[in-house]
Amino acid sequence: MPENDKKQVDLSLRQFIKELGYIAGGTAILSSMPWLQSFTIEKAREINNEKARIGLIGTGSRGQYHIHNLLNIPHAEIVALCDNYPPNLKAASELCPSAKTYTDYKKLLESKEIDGVVIATPLNWHAPMVLDSLDAGKHVFCEKAMALTMDECKAIYNAYQKTNKVLYFCMQRMFDEKYIQGIRMIHSGVIGEVVGARCHWFRNHDWRRPVPSPELERKINWRLYKESSGGLMTELGSHQLEVSNWATELVPESVIGMGDIVFWKDGREVYDSVNLVYHYSNGIKITYESLIANKYNGMEDQILGHKGTMNLATGVYYLEEDNGRSGIERLLNQIEDKVFSAVPIGGPSWRPETKKEYKPLPILKGKMHVNKGLSMVGAEKDGSDAILSAFCQSCITGEKGENIVEEAYCATLLCLLGNQAMEEQKKVKFPEEYKIPYMKF
Amino acid sequence: MGTVFSDYYDSSSMFHGFLANIMGTRFDIVIIGKGKSETAEVWEKILSELRQLERMLNRFDRESEVAQINLRAYEHPIKVSEEMWAILMDCRYYHQATLGLFDITLKDFSKIILNEDQRSVYFSQKNIHLDFGGYAKGYALKKIKDILIEADIHQCFVDFGNSSILGLGHHPYGNSWKVGIKNPFVEGEIIDEIELRDESLSTSGNTSSYTKHIINPFSGEYNDERKLACVVSRNPIEAEVLTTTLMIAPPDKKKTIINRFDINTDKMKEYNL
Repeated sequence: MPENDKKQVDLSLRQFIKELGYIAGGTAILSSMPWLQSFTIEKAREINNEKARIGLIGTGSRGQYHIHNLLNIPHAEIVALCDNYPPNLKAASELCPSAKTYTDYKKLLESKEIDGVVIATPLNWHAPMVLDSLDAGKHVFCEKAMALTMDECKAIYNAYQKTNKVLYFCMQRMFDEKYIQGIRMIHSGVIGEVVGARCHWFRNHDWRRPVPSPELERKINWRLYKESSGGLMTELGSHQLEVSNWATELVPESVIGMGDIVFWKDGREVYDSVNLVYHYSNGIKITYESLIANKYNGMEDQILGHKGTMNLATGVYYLEEDNGRSGIERLLNQIEDKVFSAVPIGGPSWRPETKKEYKPLPILKGKMHVNKGLSMVGAEKDGSDAILSAFCQSCITGEKGENIVEEAYCATLLCLLGNQAMEEQKKVKFPEEYKIPYMKF
Repeated sequence: MGTVFSDYYDSSSMFHGFLANIMGTRFDIVIIGKGKSETAEVWEKILSELRQLERMLNRFDRESEVAQINLRAYEHPIKVSEEMWAILMDCRYYHQATLGLFDITLKDFSKIILNEDQRSVYFSQKNIHLDFGGYAKGYALKKIKDILIEADIHQCFVDFGNSSILGLGHHPYGNSWKVGIKNPFVEGEIIDEIELRDESLSTSGNTSSYTKHIINPFSGEYNDERKLACVVSRNPIEAEVLTTTLMIAPPDKKKTIINRFDINTDKMKEYNL
């Protein structure tokens, strides 16, 4: 597509970050979210003349989703594609015909034409591919979760300490405006003291992909087998645990949980039902629940405060005490906007008990992209495009995305510890050997 | 202790003060055209006035003057404070003016013996209580109006729990303060707009979740009609007293009663919802 037709996919987020800097305390917010600091409009202009040359490793549904986003990023160019499953490679190649195709990622890594790679492969491949890519001198963007085992996570973390290359994991909520704004509000006390977190992800779907012939079952449905997947925890829970840590600014010290296969008894190895409690040292708990045989409750990340509830996924918050001030707020806004109209306020006496139900208040005014959690690939405007754009920017500038690897490491470790707690049916403490200086317990 | 909050908008020279949990409801004030320190000072006075009134008139607070009267006035006459005395006199006047419909005992005002020499109150019957629910907010608004005038504030909007509103002067971009009257039975529906200029508005009515709070002292029955009454007056007390009275007044008595009040009859409204 012609250059000037490309809409800058992340302009809204860049503008949003710029505006954050203007508000009272905005500088403090940005310093507590350092990965956003270089994500400026000016920087986008500056690097627009350059292009990050990107190779994709893994071109299945999520890989193709990234391709669609990359095609809209002005400072990105897809130069190579790699997959060992021919139908997916073909589909990707149709999206970007000029990109060179590979079936062996190691061959792709030998190419001098590539600045950075985007890895969207089964979880068991994350560690070898990330480590090989860094070794090959590539910048790396990898899907979450970080890796299949705690040792692999630690190996990636250690490699990252030594490399001068950029490494991102797709913790897209860190680039999602409603999460950024919601966390900002939490940290500025809107919901009072954080007292708990309730996160859940419900779907009613077998989580399977069609398999053309039986020997491909484990390759295509890799999410269902322990050799290649951490199940619901790594695939869904990792984002939500990350958000809870972001809100509490702590990492849980222990976890208990139960996991079962209650409905999809089709030979899969990973649970289709998980219930866990993560415990922070100050007594705050994350109640985490995921079930894929009932979708009524949808997907929610709720941070509970003593004055209110931030429902980050749905983009709304609720206050415990509804001060019913909307009428007066309308009047204040009117006067600020130099407008005269009636204030809808008159009526029988307002009493605290008249509150019938919690009124949802929007986290972001005007623009809402709500992820209901139903898509198996990715939701629109959930931050995935922006974090990918930030990565491409980093490929050009060489500037690391601060905290992203650390957040991914913490979240993935918690997922894996949760799985361990469910398998061993006991409380699991955060192991000393996997603690990193970034973590506060 | 309820939330207290205030804010100053430099761009509009506008002060906003908010107090949650006062006299069973909440309180908002918006002052236009005065400086930060001036408004802050007035806000302090208003807060202390409201708190002082609550301490005097809240019958659910065992320490309040009204609670002490309710507890002991059947045993023997109780001497009351100067302000309480004035309030009792005022309530007696309104009891007569409303043909007995406005009644702070909610059942039989004649059982209250007021001794003018002693400035004491005595209940000649057991189980008599004073309840200033239909009076206190209007009285408070009147006192706040006096504080504002004394501080030379002439452009101000006060919302006392939606049902008692005071508009001094006018909206900075209009020639009055315009209040939308909400239908308590239909979320989001505005049934009317009432303009205030140096006036106060009192609204009385039932809501779907809260009926049975307006009692007819003659029948002892609660009003549960789907009805709303609005009264506008330069005197917030007049508005407050009349609006409750209108909820229970028999149709043939209304005219007599209304004529005894200093209200803006053009803006007096009754809605059947």
